[in-house]
Amino acid sequence: MPKTELSRRDFLKMGAAAASAFAVGSMIPAQVAQAARDAGLLDSAGDGYIASMCEMCVWRCGLLAKVVDGRVVKLEGNPDNPHSKGNLCPRGQSGLMNTYDPDRVLTPLIRVGKRGEGLFRKASWEEALDLIASKMQGIKDTYGAEAMVFSTTHCLSQPLFENLMYAFGSPNYGTQRSLCFNAMIVANQITFGMEEPDRDYQNVKYILLTGRNLMEAISTSETHDLSYAIDNDVKVVYIDPRFTKTAAKASEWLPIRPGTDLAFHLAMINVIISEKLYNSSFVNQYTVGFEQVALAVTGYTPEWAATLTGVEADVIRRIAREFAAAGKYALAHNGWRTSNFVNSFATERAITILNTLVGNWGTTILPSSGEETGTLGQPPQPPYPRISAQRLDGVPWKYPVVPLKIGVFQEMRDNIVTGNPYQAHGWFISRQNPIMSIPDRAKTLEAFSKMDFIATVDILLNDTAWFSDVVLPEASYLERYDPLLIIGNKVFVRQPVIEPQGEGKSSLWIYKQLGERLGLGDYFQYTDEEDYLRQELTPLGVSLEEVKVKGYADLPETAHVGEGSEPTFNTPSGKIELYSDTLNKVGFPGVPAWEEPPKPAEGQFYLLTGKVAQSTQFGTQNNQLLHKYSDEPRLWMNAKVAAEKGLADGDWVVVTSDAGLVNVHLQATEAIRPDCVYLTPGYGHLSKGLTTAFGIGASDSVLHVTYTDPISGGQALSQTFVSVRKA
Amino acid sequence: MTEIKHHGFLFDATRCIDCRACMVACSVENNIPMDKTRIWVAGIGLKGEFPNLDHASMVYHCLHCNAPDCLSACPVGAYTKRPDGPVLYDPNKCIGCRYCMNACPFGVPHFDWDKGLIDGAFIDKCTLCPQRIDIGLEPACVATCPTDALVYGEWTDLVKEAHGRIQAHPVRYIDHVYGETENGGTSYLILSHVPFEELGLPTIGPVPVKAVSEKVMEFTIPFALGWGAVLTAVAAGVHIYNRNKESDVKQAETPEGKTEETK
Repeated sequence: MPKTELSRRDFLKMGAAAASAFAVGSMIPAQVAQAARDAGLLDSAGDGYIASMCEMCVWRCGLLAKVVDGRVVKLEGNPDNPHSKGNLCPRGQSGLMNTYDPDRVLTPLIRVGKRGEGLFRKASWEEALDLIASKMQGIKDTYGAEAMVFSTTHCLSQPLFENLMYAFGSPNYGTQRSLCFNAMIVANQITFGMEEPDRDYQNVKYILLTGRNLMEAISTSETHDLSYAIDNDVKVVYIDPRFTKTAAKASEWLPIRPGTDLAFHLAMINVIISEKLYNSSFVNQYTVGFEQVALAVTGYTPEWAATLTGVEADVIRRIAREFAAAGKYALAHNGWRTSNFVNSFATERAITILNTLVGNWGTTILPSSGEETGTLGQPPQPPYPRISAQRLDGVPWKYPVVPLKIGVFQEMRDNIVTGNPYQAHGWFISRQNPIMSIPDRAKTLEAFSKMDFIATVDILLNDTAWFSDVVLPEASYLERYDPLLIIGNKVFVRQPVIEPQGEGKSSLWIYKQLGERLGLGDYFQYTDEEDYLRQELTPLGVSLEEVKVKGYADLPETAHVGEGSEPTFNTPSGKIELYSDTLNKVGFPGVPAWEEPPKPAEGQFYLLTGKVAQSTQFGTQNNQLLHKYSDEPRLWMNAKVAAEKGLADGDWVVVTSDAGLVNVHLQATEAIRPDCVYLTPGYGHLSKGLTTAFGIGASDSVLHVTYTDPISGGQALSQTFVSVRKA
Repeated sequence: MTEIKHHGFLFDATRCIDCRACMVACSVENNIPMDKTRIWVAGIGLKGEFPNLDHASMVYHCLHCNAPDCLSACPVGAYTKRPDGPVLYDPNKCIGCRYCMNACPFGVPHFDWDKGLIDGAFIDKCTLCPQRIDIGLEPACVATCPTDALVYGEWTDLVKEAHGRIQAHPVRYIDHVYGETENGGTSYLILSHVPFEELGLPTIGPVPVKAVSEKVMEFTIPFALGWGAVLTAVAAGVHIYNRNKESDVKQAETPEGKTEETK
């Protein structure tokens, strides 16, 4: 019958259209919807709110996803989550656009053209996983497990990624940390015996922000707390060569000469010690090495620092006195992305000393309470194989105090290029974009060319995926489970609020599948994501169902370390180490000492980098909602300098460093020192698979010259000097 | 019957960090096309010379006037003012005449050139999220604001709160709550540390333009008709004059052999 024929054809046509336009969505059995309905979160029509956790940056705000008919239509902050307090930043608000990005990778892809041509064919999960496993096994059999390099970024599934790597037997681990905050966490580790103590703004009366641009590099709850502190007349001194949106809110902005933060802080320590403004009872009771510090800073007077920093001696002296007068209510913020100069580690150490001198431990600086995972259970597994190979990133043989799980990513890249101490042959990358993030992009591409095999897991064809041999589509953070997170006395969950687009899968699933194909199934003893989470919850006595309802569950009251008891520090002396024998033993100064970083030559500029509120690193520029509300990423140059050079706002300029050159629009502005230029990071993408972001702005990584701090392993991102001319 | 309380939102420019979370939240909540927005950053932004600088930003959108000029200018009644605050626009009634755009002293209603009579919805502006406030939620922009630069509540409470902030910090704030009296009062109240015109807000008296415009409107139609008649007469006169002049020119040229024009 013609009529039946027609309707059948229509049905087929509709099915095909729906599958491509809506990327499966409600077409497949609605497991998420069913589970949410069973939990009473969605009504019979499939509408309601499901609580989960944001992943637009690493702050992990709680969210409530409004779901209508199997689609997320709005995200709200979860008021019960201490990281969001009910608010979401612009990135958090735009999160659903990452999930519904028309550029999503919907199936596994296998490269068919040359690397970087972007020609792939669709493949089944079976074929793609088998291919990756056979390539990895082949490299292991031929060259040893250490010839496989693994890299990923700070995320909840990171422990499972590390599990795959250590079970495989490779020591070569690349994280983003050395490109971001090695200086800060190694300094905290040395002084306090913990990576990053918490900051508490409740009782704060005086805040010193060394480049911590909290009003643009937003950490929702901390930005909120700083805003309230400012509202309550807390004095905020902000040090930055740029007039950022934080500078606009601060009580005092000091446009310091780049690379001289250390001199500023050393002079503050000098004033506080020489004028005896420190908390001597706290220093006596809880610290070691005060005498060494006092001796070391005698020459670091405000007058000495003034010539280096460009900040008047009287101002430094006044701020030191004000800071000390606030006593334990003062807070010198240790910053976050502290990869600036080769002396950034010493700067960070000086900040820990400043805080200690006023005895603010337990008041504005608290023992790290967040993100304890020790109390979570985990599936049983055999011990990891012994790894005897040296690490390619020089830890610890070249960088003795850098923790193993942190590493020195840029050094690893360099040694992949040189083949020393051995040649790497394969690279497995998950949720990371090293082509964009490591300084000197040309060199990173060279490292890629040394690889026999590269596989990348991501939701988009990011630049690294674009140059990979196999791409595995991850489910987005709104479509999958991740391992649980404990914050304070609550356990939080990231759970799927919709079905994955296309064939996206969770990392928990992907790593297990690869593990099993590599004969490492014993390291992945869980049947599925929910089973993994249930095993994590076993020792806590909380059910997964309970956690899923509100997105979190309260934990039975347990005493937290350091709470209500004497502070303890996991350092060799058991005290706060103002002087560090650990550093001394490996040939570094035990107390921070002034080290003059290089300066730009005549006619050159410091190239500064720093975040904007509408993007996170290298992964959000393709989000259409963020793109809509972002300023064009132009090169900031001081307006008077630009005029002297005959450059006008909006001109195309060529920016050249020792590593490379880029073309970009100029932004002539008063908001920057005359000796600096600034470029928003994360733009200048190479992948044409990012159709929104491709062609926008320029990459600072093309310009960045690799300089590694020998102590912390941090990359000195601001130690790149550029010249600028009209295009 | 329970009394309907006037609600509104209070914006504090000293707290705004120009992060644009409100803009994204509004776009998603109200399903705004990618090339449109109901909130924009207004004002002069950065001012001063290095290193003496200041920066202010303003979440600019419909102020939801108590006596809306858009409403009084609209010839087809597409606008309504709800007693609890929102000024709403009905796309089904709109004929696209853009009188509201000219009438609004704050330059808020935006015309959608992409749409025609058939698609409707020529005008777009903030609605104060009635779909949210009617079920007890805050407007999308308010709910997400990471620094609480925007708060939502009963109008009289917000006015009290605003004056309380000024009293607590007389040096910080300009001693005025914008919107308390402007244009007869608005549901959007604004506190600032910089002059309001630097936030892009017009200096405007307490008498709503509506009161003036309605007076003017009484004369509009007779005036338009009369003036139209005059213009028509003039245009007709000019046309006749030109036609005569043209034929004069042609006649004048023909004797010299320049006959191209008449061929």
